[in-house]
Amino acid sequence: MRNLIIITQTILLGVFLAVGAQAQTVKNPGILVHAADDEATTLDPAQVEAGEGGETVILQVYDRLLEFGPSGPELVPGLASVVPTIDNGMISDDGMTYTFKIREGVVFHDGTDLTAEDVKFSWDRIVDMDLPEGQSGVIADIVSDSKVIDDYTFQVTLLEPSASFLNSTVVSMAASIVSQDAVMANGGVVEGEPNQYMAQNVAGTGPYKLKAWNRGENILLDINENYWGENAKLAARIEIGAEPDVRVLGLRAGNYDTIETDPSFVADIEGADGVTLHTGGLLLEPIHVGFNLNIPEGSLPKEDTIPTDFFHDPRVRQAFNYAFDYDAFLYGPLAGFGQFNPHYLPIGIFGHDADAPVYGAQDKAKAEALFRDAGYWDKGFSVSVITEESNLFADAALVLKDSMEALNPNFRINVLAVAEAVFDEAHAQNPIEYAMWVKNADPFADPHPYMSAYQHPDGEWGEVHGFSNGYRNPEKIAELIDGASIELDVEKRAAMYAELQRLLFDDPMWLITAQEGVTMAYRSWVKGFEMNPLWPRPSLRFVYLDK
Amino acid sequence: MQIRDYIIRRLLVLPVLIIGTSIIVFALTRIGGSPIGIYLSHEMNPAEVQEMKERFHLDKPVPVQYFYWIKGVTQGDLGWSGVASAPVVDVFPKKFAATMELAIAAGIVAVSLGIALGTFAGARRNKLADHIIRVVSVGGASMPLFWFAILLLIIFWVWLGWFPIGRSDPNLFEAIAHPTGFYTIDALLAGNFAAFRDAIWHLIMPAVALGYGATAIIARMMRSSLIEELQEDYVDAAKAKGLAERVVLKKHARRNALIPTVTVIGLTFGFLLQGTVVAEIIFRWPGLGRWMASAVLRGDQATIMTYVMFTSILFLIVNLVVDIIYANLDRRVVLGE
Repeated sequence: MRNLIIITQTILLGVFLAVGAQAQTVKNPGILVHAADDEATTLDPAQVEAGEGGETVILQVYDRLLEFGPSGPELVPGLASVVPTIDNGMISDDGMTYTFKIREGVVFHDGTDLTAEDVKFSWDRIVDMDLPEGQSGVIADIVSDSKVIDDYTFQVTLLEPSASFLNSTVVSMAASIVSQDAVMANGGVVEGEPNQYMAQNVAGTGPYKLKAWNRGENILLDINENYWGENAKLAARIEIGAEPDVRVLGLRAGNYDTIETDPSFVADIEGADGVTLHTGGLLLEPIHVGFNLNIPEGSLPKEDTIPTDFFHDPRVRQAFNYAFDYDAFLYGPLAGFGQFNPHYLPIGIFGHDADAPVYGAQDKAKAEALFRDAGYWDKGFSVSVITEESNLFADAALVLKDSMEALNPNFRINVLAVAEAVFDEAHAQNPIEYAMWVKNADPFADPHPYMSAYQHPDGEWGEVHGFSNGYRNPEKIAELIDGASIELDVEKRAAMYAELQRLLFDDPMWLITAQEGVTMAYRSWVKGFEMNPLWPRPSLRFVYLDK
Repeated sequence: MQIRDYIIRRLLVLPVLIIGTSIIVFALTRIGGSPIGIYLSHEMNPAEVQEMKERFHLDKPVPVQYFYWIKGVTQGDLGWSGVASAPVVDVFPKKFAATMELAIAAGIVAVSLGIALGTFAGARRNKLADHIIRVVSVGGASMPLFWFAILLLIIFWVWLGWFPIGRSDPNLFEAIAHPTGFYTIDALLAGNFAAFRDAIWHLIMPAVALGYGATAIIARMMRSSLIEELQEDYVDAAKAKGLAERVVLKKHARRNALIPTVTVIGLTFGFLLQGTVVAEIIFRWPGLGRWMASAVLRGDQATIMTYVMFTSILFLIVNLVVDIIYANLDRRVVLGE
């Protein structure tokens, strides 16, 4: 027995010494270990989807003409040596022509020199390939023509003046600059077909070079010693697909330096020894309940009792907005990390008007009045909402269900939480065979894509969702969105977005649950931590980090 | 029928069976719905979805889709895995090797520990060591794998930092060629001792977690068999001849006790393969189990089809081999009737 006690004491002492020692010792020196949520699907800028895991890598290994700086929306030179302005003469007075001076002496990872030909090739390539999963519209929808003036001058002519060209097109991951030689030597450019080489390799100029991509395991990035800017201090390893709990444990143990997490894990991280929790800022991807105003007859799930024109009535859409328990969502699934911002331009985006009216708080009396007015209070209804399972979207759908069913026992919300692939297929139908869905929007740096893609009655989604069937004044909304996109006077443009916010408050097409807060955890030994929500998730540029 | 004729006949039937199986498997997976969802994002509009369907021939009727699939298979194209973001044919061998390596390592843990503990306990029936081993065995048989695995993870990865998770140190892994896909074997073939040590180091925790349950089963079987054997007359006779206890145990009783234990060992390999799914998820082991779990959850039909076809073909071949062995072992078996 005495021996047993001695052995037990020795083991426990060893445990405490080991834990104490590891809390102080930097693990994995010389390499940043980032635990990511998603596997990349492609590393090709011409193929990558907005917000997808591949953008995380593309941000590190490719450069763009301009970049967002570390501390906000200001643009800094990338492969273009100067940010074009009207004042420096690189934007024409009519706002139609942009000239970029290309940085000299930049070398691609494959050893070839960067010239303006590569820049034109990169932009043309995306448009020529026009892949459905890619973002060719980022360039094709705004650029009329581009040309090489000389080896180090690239000029772009737009279809019409654009207030968002620099901070939505030029900085886009899709507009990353690739080596023409590398692409042409490895499959070239074929319309409608992905380039397998580019999907799995890198031909950029960025501060990191791709060393290896082990599917489902890790992506290894080496420092590009020939980088034109300041070299990265740490190599990087992106660990893929660890369960959220394992990511948290790995961070606490010091095996990971930075992890992707969401607010539901804050309680597990807060106060952990040697761990810093970064909670500043807000994500730019509004989580919302979408309303379908284009429901085909007989297509809804059999449990649904609503008529197909249910959401054509603005009172019904308003009533849903008033009925939602915003507190329950913000202080439940989001653990308090976020903002009440039921508005269409997220906080932090140009044009967001803090004085515009918002729903923001549950108002049962107003919801009841509106439902009574619309004739649904007494007879009730049953309606399904489709969403992805096991994430914040499903949580938002459940809060909606609780809110509505508590408001009136005659109301029934059926939450259909399905696999991501099933949801994506259902949402991609035209028309959609569900009355409501919960998802987030893509993040943008400029207000125009938020408005044109999601709220315009004839926009990409507005048309599919039948918004022209429900807006009180669709022409006015379209006119404002179109006008703001080409308005170069900053004050006038801001005023147009402010007016749009007011119109959309009266005529909501979404129920925006909250603006999710940024929660990022990292080891305290990581230096130079900078996070910008305008960079693709997880909003980190590894080149700035050290330890 | 001559055994040679029987083998030829069975080999001729094999392709028919494989094609029949492929039709059934293909039809069953398609009944679950179109696989297009795995290739989409929630921001794709209907026109883009249509383009994606055309790329993967999913706009065609199901029989035509089958034709494209079988044509691809004959050309070595098993489809695109949406989960792995790569061609299935590129990923499958690597994942399969990783899983087999883990299952074999867990098997080695289970067999060596199980037989040793069972022998030790059986030879010391109702003594303290026997009681302790029985408790440990009951624990192994009743403790859920996911719980034990997380326990190991917290103690040895988070607290002590003794063992890593994942399969390898990426720098060492990348430094050697991988002709077999088995990291341990490849490291030895490359003569890279550091990589071999790395492979073993990464294997220990998942192999122990996975092997513990099987260890318990084998140990209990070995113990009870040994106890039975030790009560046999031949053991008394051996002792009466003056043989040492150790010799009686090792040369006589244990050898006989191993016969039923070996049968159990064969059965536990299936148990180990099942368990790899949980062990791979918790320890981030990049194997077939984790990949397949994601594929099933996300509807990655190209991956699921490959896996099901692979196991079906394996099953058909194993059945053929077993039939032939039976015929060789027992001449009363009448071939082909």
